[in-house]
Order: sequence, then structure tokens, then C-alpha cells
Amino acid sequence: MPSSAALLEVSALTKRFGGLTALSEVDFRLHEGEILGLIGPNGAGKTTTFSLIAGALAPSSGSIRFAGEQMVGLAPHAIAARGVLRTFQHNRPFAGMPVLDNVLVGAHTRFRQGLWRIFSGSAAREEQEGRQRAEALIDFVGLGEARNADVGTLSFGQGRLLEIARALAGEPRLILLDEPAAGLTPAECERLAEIIRGIAARGIAVLLIEHDMRFLLPLAHRIAVLNFGRKIADGLPEEIRGDRAVRDAYLGEHAARR
Amino acid sequence: MQDFLELAVSAAASGCIYGLIALAYLLVLRPTGIINFAIGEWAMVGAFAGYLLLGYLHWRYPLGAAAILLFMLLLGWATERIAVRPLVERGAPLLAPVLALLGMLVVFRESISVLFGPDPRQVPYPLGFGRLELGPLVGSYQNFLMIGVTAAVFIAAWLFFERTVWGKSFEAVAIDRRAAALMGIDLSRVTAVSFAAGSAVAGLAGLLAAPNISAHFLMGVPLAIQGFTALVIGGVGRVEGALLGGLLLAFAEELTVRYAPIPPGYAQGVPLILLMIFLVVRPKGLLRAPEARAA
Amino acid sequence: MRTWAAWVGAALLMSALPFVLGEYHGDLYRKLLLWIALALSYNFLFGISGQVAFSHFAFYGVGAYAVVILVFQAGLPLPLAVLAGVALCALLALAVALPATRLEGFYLALATLAFAQLFIVVLNEGGALTGGTGGLANYRMPKVAGVDLSGRPYTAVIVLLVLGTAALLRRLDRSWFGRACRAVRDNPEAAAAMGVNVARTKVVAFAVTSALAGVAGMAYAFVDNTVNPPIFGLENAFLLLFMVIIGGAGRDAGAVIGAVLLYLLPFVLSPLIGHHHALVFGVLMVAAILLQPRGLIGIYDALKRRPA
Repeated sequence: MPSSAALLEVSALTKRFGGLTALSEVDFRLHEGEILGLIGPNGAGKTTTFSLIAGALAPSSGSIRFAGEQMVGLAPHAIAARGVLRTFQHNRPFAGMPVLDNVLVGAHTRFRQGLWRIFSGSAAREEQEGRQRAEALIDFVGLGEARNADVGTLSFGQGRLLEIARALAGEPRLILLDEPAAGLTPAECERLAEIIRGIAARGIAVLLIEHDMRFLLPLAHRIAVLNFGRKIADGLPEEIRGDRAVRDAYLGEHAARR
Repeated sequence: MQDFLELAVSAAASGCIYGLIALAYLLVLRPTGIINFAIGEWAMVGAFAGYLLLGYLHWRYPLGAAAILLFMLLLGWATERIAVRPLVERGAPLLAPVLALLGMLVVFRESISVLFGPDPRQVPYPLGFGRLELGPLVGSYQNFLMIGVTAAVFIAAWLFFERTVWGKSFEAVAIDRRAAALMGIDLSRVTAVSFAAGSAVAGLAGLLAAPNISAHFLMGVPLAIQGFTALVIGGVGRVEGALLGGLLLAFAEELTVRYAPIPPGYAQGVPLILLMIFLVVRPKGLLRAPEARAA
Repeated sequence: MRTWAAWVGAALLMSALPFVLGEYHGDLYRKLLLWIALALSYNFLFGISGQVAFSHFAFYGVGAYAVVILVFQAGLPLPLAVLAGVALCALLALAVALPATRLEGFYLALATLAFAQLFIVVLNEGGALTGGTGGLANYRMPKVAGVDLSGRPYTAVIVLLVLGTAALLRRLDRSWFGRACRAVRDNPEAAAAMGVNVARTKVVAFAVTSALAGVAGMAYAFVDNTVNPPIFGLENAFLLLFMVIIGGAGRDAGAVIGAVLLYLLPFVLSPLIGHHHALVFGVLMVAAILLQPRGLIGIYDALKRRPA
């Protein structure tokens, strides 16, 4: 486990919707190259946590520090530009574009801004390099055959992988994966786990929401458990598996449902 | 003072027309999210129906008006059937029916122009030309008729939304379509009814306005713009906002024409400038919706 | 290198065409080219960046009036007037777009509709500056660097404008900016999560395309040597939208097809139905949205994919 200063430091994060407290005083830290699983029953505040980190929602109080910088108050696009990219719980492709262009949108912040640059000589080269990187990422997630396909023709599982490739194209230092395994076949899950390990091996911090414990336990370096908007546990996967409170709140309920 | 009171009656009458058009927008917009650019053309069709039945065929007014309202209900229903329902059923984005209705705008206008020609058509005054004095208020019979009918329509609309099960289901659809569908509300029927009702209200506005301004095939777009200006001023949240917005707009227009030291042609710019100001400063209008609309 | 040769060849061919067309058809040809330029930039605004705006034709009018007023009333030399006109269009576009793109849903359509109508009111009431309802006429294009460009050589100016517009928009479309525009159109929330500044992307697309419309308007000012309010009314704003949708929104080839078809259709139809071609446009528009949302270019794609 890397012991350097944390890349992401979430402290006392709280979000209230009207009278309802969706998230209350949640703290956690995440290091480079680390995979942190975020689990909890439905409505525990997992997706709310994601939206707060990605800037889609503003917290009621608390702080989110990324690479030493305060993220609270920044717009989603500014947070993405600093190297925090996300996938969505439900696939949200850009429906009017082929797969390659979808991934290239993910690389948006890697292109030098300024309209006049588009007409300069270096733009074509930059575009070419962007394309090559995007193609490499498409191969990395295993969508090579569908590179120029219309996104409408992708299967659900391919759509999940496109979400990941698109987020990786922004060269994130932190990637937020919202239930990437939901709806995948066991074989697809296995491949996905390999992809996620590969992402972490590149030194990227991974924050992962997941329901399926059989998927998460062998994959995550650490797991934080949310219940009713509070963090009730945080530790190594084997510690979480043995935690009484977690069993009661989540695993028990989960096991009962199976 | 006398001058001002007379101006007030005529402003209130035009404000009622704007309010009715705004109500027609609202009836369609609330449950469906669709801005129907063809609403001004519905009013234009209502005015020409008035010319045909009342001016040309000399039907008696109550009978003619009833027939016109019935026809407008059918026209609204048919518009929804042709230009909206196939797209909604296909799951097309909301933009598609909006653009289809923009196409219908041209179809309505040009059809009327083919049928009736480019010249304005006179629509008779149902109560004759006389003037009515109500205490200090003086105005033409037609202006008082416009105010009375509009008041009745808005009271009916308010009662519908506040007091009937049907009205409640409209509101439920306006607040959250998916939840409403889960509660067993038939979305496509609500959409059909909203278009029929919107068409009838817009047609009534055209019929009421026609004796003063004559029926003309190009009258739709100006009415449409004044109507949605009234809607934006009043806010899309509440029925009474449409009337409030219409009245405010009409008074602003009449007062600038009468008292502001600008060329009269610029008075046409008043609703446009008001619209832009409200869009920038207060896009949700003066009256807030009772509940925020879900995304 | 070969693409350059193709562009130059196209420019020469298109400029030479009026010499075989004769006076009347040459005039129609120039106006058709201007419609194509407008349809191309409107396609970028509506089809690619997904903004429903009715102001495009008004900006065409702003450009036309601006160049005439600046040259013949303010006495500016033509190149300076053109630069000032472009700046004016871009600034006006920013003034409309900055507040309007903050709004949700179809409010941009309403705001730009109001802007387009207000423009006509200002033209009608502008007194000597705009010539009122009669507009401005009886001026002649000044010589540029001693060369008289009026008449048939002027076609070359318009050809350069069309090809320049097409090349510029194509370059923008195939860059990170074009992708950002399409992403904002398809899913603004996901676009923002990928680092796209949604509001700025919309505003820039609006300002650039509006300025291009203004440039086309400047070219128009010396086609008939008259500018007047009815030309720049809402009717033509609708027609532009119909062209792009019927041809195929989001595709430059679609915009060209739509512009050519709807421009020429009235000439074909007038012996049959007189002046009622707008009815046909309306029916085509509704039919396109209901039956062929990808437009005529979509039919072509489908035919190409299925080998005969």
C-alpha cells in the first residue's frame, strides 16, 4: 500500500436535500494506484458521494481536497480538467458519434484550447496523436473491433467499457467508476476486473461503487462502507468481511436477497 | 383620468387575448414540456372559422361559436395525432415534436392562405358596435365581452386544475411524467386532451380578437410572440400567471404607445424587449410553481 | 496537397459557371450560393451544436446593413467596414448568447425569435440610418484596390465565401471543438463530466456561426445593391431551418442538398401551384421529421450501405 500523502482527501462531507440528509460527515482518503471500493445498501449515499466529488452536486458542508487543492465550488468541467473523470451508473454515450469520437471527447481537456489553434499547423499533428492514444485505449478496454462503429450498435456490456475508455482518455489521476460491473456477464466481469487492475497499475487512483461483493472483495485494496449516509466501516477487504456492523447493515441483507 | 380609464379597458381586453394564448401554451407545455409554436396559427384558424360561419354563412353567434370551439378541439386533437404522438411513441427527443409543430405552423398558415386568399376578412361583432358605461369604466361591447369570456375561461381552468381529478392528473404529469405513469395515468390521453384544450382556448382567443383586428393569414406569429411573452412574464408554473402576464404586457404596450416619447412603430418592440428582459432577469416568471418540476 | 488542388479546382469551376449561365440565371446562382453558405453555418449551429435559434437570418441582415451603412454613411473604406461588420456581428451574438445559453430548454428559441423580430422593428423605424421600410438602395460596390468587382467577377467573391465557410466549418467540426459541440448536443451532463465547458462551447459556437452569417450578409449587400427589411424577416429564418432538417441536420452535405432543393423547388412548382410553395415546404418539414429524421442525406446513406 502506498504510504505517501493522499491524492484525494474527503472530510466531513455532508449533503442535505431539503430536510433529508443524504450524506453525513463522511471522511475517506485515496492514494495513487489504490482501488477503494465504496459499498452500501441502496440509498446509502454512494452515488451522492460521486456526484459531490465530480462537482455535479454542491455539498452542504465539508471539504474535498484533490492533490492538495480544494475541489468544492468548482464546476464539473473544471474538476475533470484537473484529472478527476467519472463513468455513469447508466451508460451515457454521445449517441450521434462513433466510438472513437466518443473516446476523443473524453480527451477534451488534453487538447490545447483556443479556437485559433485549430487552424495552426500543429493542430493536425495533435489530432493525429489524440487519435492514436484513443485507439490504444479502445484496444486496452477490448473494444478494438467496434472502433468505428456507431455507439447505437454497441451491446450493453460494450457500452460499459466505452464509459471507462472515455474517462481514461482524459488521462485521469483519479477515476470514479459507478457500478461498472452492473448487468455484465461473469466472463465480462472477469475482464473488467483485469482492466481495473490495469488502470490502478498505471498509478491512477480508482474509486469504485459496487454492489457485487464477489466482484469487489478480490479486487479492492480497501473498502469503505456507507449506511444511511454515514460511513460505518473502512478497511481491508478481509476486515470488512468480518465486520459485524457491516454484516448487519449490508452483507446480511445482501446475502438474504441472494 | 377618463382617458386613462378608457385606455385601461382596452388594454385589459387585449391583455385577456394575450392571457388566453398564454394559457393555451401552458395547457400544452405543463404536461408535455413542448413549446408549441403553432399556437398562434390555431388562433388564426379560430378567427377564420369565425369569418366563415358568422360573417359569410351568417350563423347565429352562440351556435357558430359552439361549432368553432368543437372544431378547434378536433383540430388540436388531430395536430397531436399527426405531429406529436408518432414521435413520442418512437421515443424521439422532445425537440422533434417541437420542430414538427413548427412545420405545422407553416402548413396551417399556407392552407388558410390558399383557401381564403391574402386579404383580411371582417368578422362581425357579436353584440354590435355599441359602447358600454359601467360606472367610470367605458369601453366597446366587444372589449367587455373579451374580458368577461376570458374571466370565465380562467375560472374554469383554475377549477379544473384545483378541484377535479383530471386536473390533478395533469399536474401529476407536469411534475413527474414517470411517476404519473406508474400511478396509472394514461400519458398519451393527457397529451391528447392538453392539445385539444390548448387549441380550443387559442381558437377562442382568435375568435374574440378577430372583430377588432380582422382575420388575416399572417396574424398568427405576432399573437404567438405576444402569448409566450405573457407566459414568460407570468411564469409557467400557474394558470393565473398566464392572465397576469397578459395583462401586464398589454398595459405596458398601451402605456408606451400613449405616453412614451418614442415613434409608434417602436411600440411593436415593447413585448420583444420585455420578453428578453424577463428571459435574462427572471426566466421563471413572476409567479412560482407550487412545486419544482422534476428534471 | 491533393485536397488543396480539389478546393482550387472547385473554386475556379464554380466561379466560371455564370459565364455560361446568362444574366438571369447567374443572379439566381449567386443567391443560391449565399443560401448554401447560410445553410452550412446554420447547420453547425443547429445540427452540430444543437441550438435551436431563429436569429441566424437576422445576423445575415445585420452584416448586410452594417457594411452598407459603414461604407456609404460613415465613409469607411470597404475592408475596414467588413472587419467592423464582423466584429459587430460577433459582439451582438455574444450579447444575445451569453444570457440566452444559460437558459434551459427552448428559451433560446424564444429569445432569438424576439431578437429577430426586434431587428425588423429597428430596421423599419431606423429613419435615415436604415432607410425605414424602404431600406437602402442605389449604391454601388466601391472598387477594391482599384479593381471593380461588380458584375460577373463578383461571383468569384461569393464562391470564395462559400468555400471558405465550408472549409472553416469542416476544420472546426473535425477538431476537439466540433466534438465538444456534438457532445453538448447529445448529452450535456456527460460532456461536462469529460471536461467540456458546456456554456462556453455553446456561446462560442453561436458567436462564430452568427459572425459567418454576417459575412454572408455583407456579400449579399452587393448582389442586388439593395437591402430592405422584408428580406431579413422570420420567414427566411424558418426556411433556413427547413433546409437543414430536410437535407439532414448535422451533415454539411445535408445542408447543401437542403439549400439547393428548397431554393430551386419554387421555380419548379410555380407553374403548378403559383406562390403557395411554402405549403409544400411545411409538409416536407413535417414529413422529414416524422419519416426521415436524418433527412435526404440519410436516404442516400441507406442506399449506399445496401449495394445494388
